[in-house]
Amino acid sequence: MAIDVSKLSYDDEGKVVFHSSCVTDTNQPKFDAEWQRRAFGLAVGLSEFGHYAWDDFQRELIASIGSWQEVPDDERSRWEYYEHWVAALDKVVERHGLLEEGYVNPEDRDDHDDH
Amino acid sequence: MTEQFSYSADREPASAAQVRALEALLIEKGVITDTTVDKVLGYFESEMTPLNGQKIVARAWVDPEFAQLLAKDTPAAIAQLDLPEGMAGAEGEHIAAVLNEPGVHNVVICTLCSCFPWPVLGLPPYWYKDPVFRSRAAREPRVVLSELGVPLADDTEIRVWDSSGHSRWFVVPERPAGTEGWTEEQLAGLVTTESMIGVALANQPSAA
Repeated sequence: MAIDVSKLSYDDEGKVVFHSSCVTDTNQPKFDAEWQRRAFGLAVGLSEFGHYAWDDFQRELIASIGSWQEVPDDERSRWEYYEHWVAALDKVVERHGLLEEGYVNPEDRDDHDDH
Repeated sequence: MTEQFSYSADREPASAAQVRALEALLIEKGVITDTTVDKVLGYFESEMTPLNGQKIVARAWVDPEFAQLLAKDTPAAIAQLDLPEGMAGAEGEHIAAVLNEPGVHNVVICTLCSCFPWPVLGLPPYWYKDPVFRSRAAREPRVVLSELGVPLADDTEIRVWDSSGHSRWFVVPERPAGTEGWTEEQLAGLVTTESMIGVALANQPSAA
């Protein structure tokens, strides 16, 4: 996906505006809210325990962020990274049928070949 | 307009409710237990921290052979150190180090989705995930680095590494002058997360 530089913003002097947080606050807590932390733990945990490959989650995350970036500035919602994270999590859970009737956990599958 | 506004105001609680509902459903279906998420988070928050990256960098500074292996086969080099057991799938298997040297400065970005070498750097600082930071660092790294206060000579080559699902880069900054004879432990104290992303240099001995 190409980077659309036309979406950057500029100040009065024509200088590109750098997100102030990039230069002033590098030690802020990594999660703004508990739901973000839990969404992170869920996505990583489900992948860890073999419910899907991390790449599959990553693909959904890229797709969600990509569609946000394609919407014109004045029409799209405020940037919130973890909303994309949650959207991706929902998608990957759905695609792998985790909540469907008869879903079998990886460790209980006959064909699993770990260890 | 009004509609949009009320939508944004509801976003935070809506996301929170969505995550809560999903976790509850997964527990109810027996896909995970009620302690799974806490265990995963606990592991990340206690074991996968920048302390790992600091130890790796410090070893590379005192051991040229290790540094060479680190550049060539990062996971193999990391395996030599006494670090927490990596979690398969936690993005550790694709970690790759890039080494700064005189005349070459490396910086790591992810233009797509904020891939990050968690096991060695912990979770990413939140600005790393900001689209403006990501796109600017890709387009004009020299300007971004100067705004961040990284002193680079004009003829220093800047290499921008775009993390992906298959290569999660981290930077081994240059060892600061005036640290001859320091122990690895002392050296590790000079290594910041920012310096391992390439948006800063390692701390000077006086700043430690």
